[in-house]
Amino acid sequence: MTAGGAAAGDRRLRVLVDGPAPASWNMALDEALLELGTTPVLRLYAWAPHAVSLGWFQAAADFADLPPGTPVVRRLTGGGAIHHGDELTFALVCDAACLPTEIASGYRLLHDAAVAVLQAVGVPCRRLEHGAAPAARPGERWCFAEPGRDDVVTARGKLLGSAQRRVRRPRARVLHHGSLVLRRPSLTPFVAAVADHTDPDRAAPTLRSGLVRAIAAALDLVSTPDLPTAAERALAARLQQQRYADSGFTARR
Amino acid sequence: MRPTDCKFLKSHEWCRIENGIATIGISDHAVSHLSDLVFLDLPAKGASVTVGESFGEIESVKAVSSLYAPVSGEVVDVNSKLPDNLEWLAQEPFGKAWMIKVRVTTKSPDLIDTAAYDAHCKAEG
Repeated sequence: MTAGGAAAGDRRLRVLVDGPAPASWNMALDEALLELGTTPVLRLYAWAPHAVSLGWFQAAADFADLPPGTPVVRRLTGGGAIHHGDELTFALVCDAACLPTEIASGYRLLHDAAVAVLQAVGVPCRRLEHGAAPAARPGERWCFAEPGRDDVVTARGKLLGSAQRRVRRPRARVLHHGSLVLRRPSLTPFVAAVADHTDPDRAAPTLRSGLVRAIAAALDLVSTPDLPTAAERALAARLQQQRYADSGFTARR
Repeated sequence: MRPTDCKFLKSHEWCRIENGIATIGISDHAVSHLSDLVFLDLPAKGASVTVGESFGEIESVKAVSSLYAPVSGEVVDVNSKLPDNLEWLAQEPFGKAWMIKVRVTTKSPDLIDTAAYDAHCKAEG
């Protein structure tokens, strides 16, 4: 069996642990995994340089006031913008059948997994049981500005940003993005952070391994370290050039 | 009870073809699983859509989902009021929540009738 390929009865969760990379590469590889992957994949990564990602439907013009030189990329997933500073980012890519049919239930499953891992390192967080559903036209442009139902929060605010892209052809597949804040980024100082409660540098490896374990368990999968395939890297390189590193693509709305 | 004059894709789009014009929307099953719809992006009148390819996108609970065309052809009308009245999708998914009308050149070979679609939804859960 080749890396990235599926086998009958395959219960593997491919785990890709990447170092810091430019925003355009991070988004391109996630889309390549969505398009080419068959086995479920959990990719963990970081951002260098730090960058702002816009939700798929957001208007680039609404972010014209960002400091000059701030890298901006458009995510394939929905929701509000995120300033990706010192954070633990993950992308779960899997068949839709791996998650509950109702989208909100899928969020709850993954958020509960994250809450357990965070609490284990001393971060007193919880998933909001109540709160506002997303507004038709959110007044806030930042993902972390308005915690809502099912968001992971501490007493200070929202700690984990999540968003999804769903495709149904050729198969029903999901890309789920998660952004767990380790230290508050400069453009969104109102967010909660792991650093509010514990040393993020010490906690990060435990959080990383804990997330892998907890998400694999939530999906009833067995985590297996892996690398992107040559095909995934090649498609990612093309998508990076044609879409995510293209300012015209970022400004398409 | 779903209307019997519609055909469905397993990806939950429906179409009703009358006099060569397909009225297209998404089913009650899709709407119930999406929940909390927040944004709808539809093509412009005059655009072309192609069988099996995305003709629009819908966002719910920060999940962007593609909408797939059950027919190919030119978009001759768009329900421009729908994006500002997304609650219609839950109220009347086969009525006033139609999305686009297309002058049909080709139909998807994957269209199924209401009974088969009912069975598909039951199997999907």
